[in-house]
Amino acid sequence: MDPVTLAIHATPAFVASAVEFVEATTIVLAVGVTRGWRAPLFGTLVATAVLAVIIGTLGVAIVTIVPEHLLKGVVGALLLLFGLRWLRKAILRFAGIVAVHDEELIYLRELAELRAQGLRRHEFDWVGFLVAFKAVLLEGTEVAFIVIAFGAAGGVALTSAVVGAIVAGILVIGPENSLKFGVGAMLCSFGVFWFAEALGMTWPGDALSIPLIVVAFVGVSWLAVRILKTVLPEGAQIEARNV
Amino acid sequence: MFKSIWSTLVGLLIEDGQLAIGALVALAVTWLLAAAGGDQTQQVVGWALLAMVLVLVVANLYRAGLVARARVSSARR
Repeated sequence: MDPVTLAIHATPAFVASAVEFVEATTIVLAVGVTRGWRAPLFGTLVATAVLAVIIGTLGVAIVTIVPEHLLKGVVGALLLLFGLRWLRKAILRFAGIVAVHDEELIYLRELAELRAQGLRRHEFDWVGFLVAFKAVLLEGTEVAFIVIAFGAAGGVALTSAVVGAIVAGILVIGPENSLKFGVGAMLCSFGVFWFAEALGMTWPGDALSIPLIVVAFVGVSWLAVRILKTVLPEGAQIEARNV
Repeated sequence: MFKSIWSTLVGLLIEDGQLAIGALVALAVTWLLAAAGGDQTQQVVGWALLAMVLVLVVANLYRAGLVARARVSSARR
C-alpha cells in the first residue's frame, strides 16, 4: 500500500481519536478534581479493559472473518450514518444555530453536577467510577469503531489507522468544531466510497476519488452554512437534538 | 445513568431521525439501482449515492434552520 493511501486511511482515524480523547479526558479530569482520583482512574482502567476485550473479540473477528465486500457495504453504510451526524452538528455550529462545543464549559458543568451530588469519606466513590467508566467506554467505542472501519481496507491500513489514533492521543490540536467537521466530511466520503465499491463499482482512480468526494461534501456544507445564515442571520443557541 | 448511556448510544448513530432515515433510503435506492441495472449502471451508483446524500444534507439543514427560526420566534413571544 502506497504512502498516499496510508495517509488517507490514517488521517480520519487520527482526527476522530483526537476529538474523542479530549471529550473523555475532560470528563475524567472533572471527576478527579471534584471527587478524588482513585475512583475515576479505576473507572478509566476498567473501561479500557472492557474496550480491549470488545475490540479483541468482535473487532478482529469482524475484520478477519466477514467477506470483504460485505464488510465494506456494512461499514460504508455505518460510516455514512456516523459521518452525517458529525457533519450536521458541525454545520449547525458554524452557522451559529447550535452552541459551539466548549470543553471548558462542559468541564465546569460536570464539576458543578458532581459537587452537587456530594461525597462521603471512607466509601468507594461509585458515582465517580461510573461517570469516568461511561465516558471512556462510550468515547472509546466511537474511536474503536472508526479505527476498525478504516482498517477494513486491509492489515496495513489497520496499522496506519491504529498509529493515527495513538498519535492523536499524544498530540491533541486544533479547534474542536473544525476537527469534527473535517472528520464528518471524511467519514461520509469513505462511507459513500466503500458502499459503492461493495456494490461492484470501480471508482475512477480508485482511492484518488476520495479527495474529490470530500471536496463535494465540503462544498455542499459551505452552501448549507450560507443557507442557514440566510434563514436565521442572528443565530440561536439551541441543542442539536431539538432542530 | 442507564437512560443517559442509552441516549448516548442512540445518539451515536441517529441523533436526527429524519437524516438517518433519509440516508438509509438513499443507501437502499443505490442498492436497488446496482441490483436491477446492468454493468453500466453499476459503475455510476456511487455518484448517484453521493448526489442523493448531498441533496439530503442541504434539505435536512434547511429544515433545521426553519425549525430553529420557529423556536426562536416563539421564545421571543
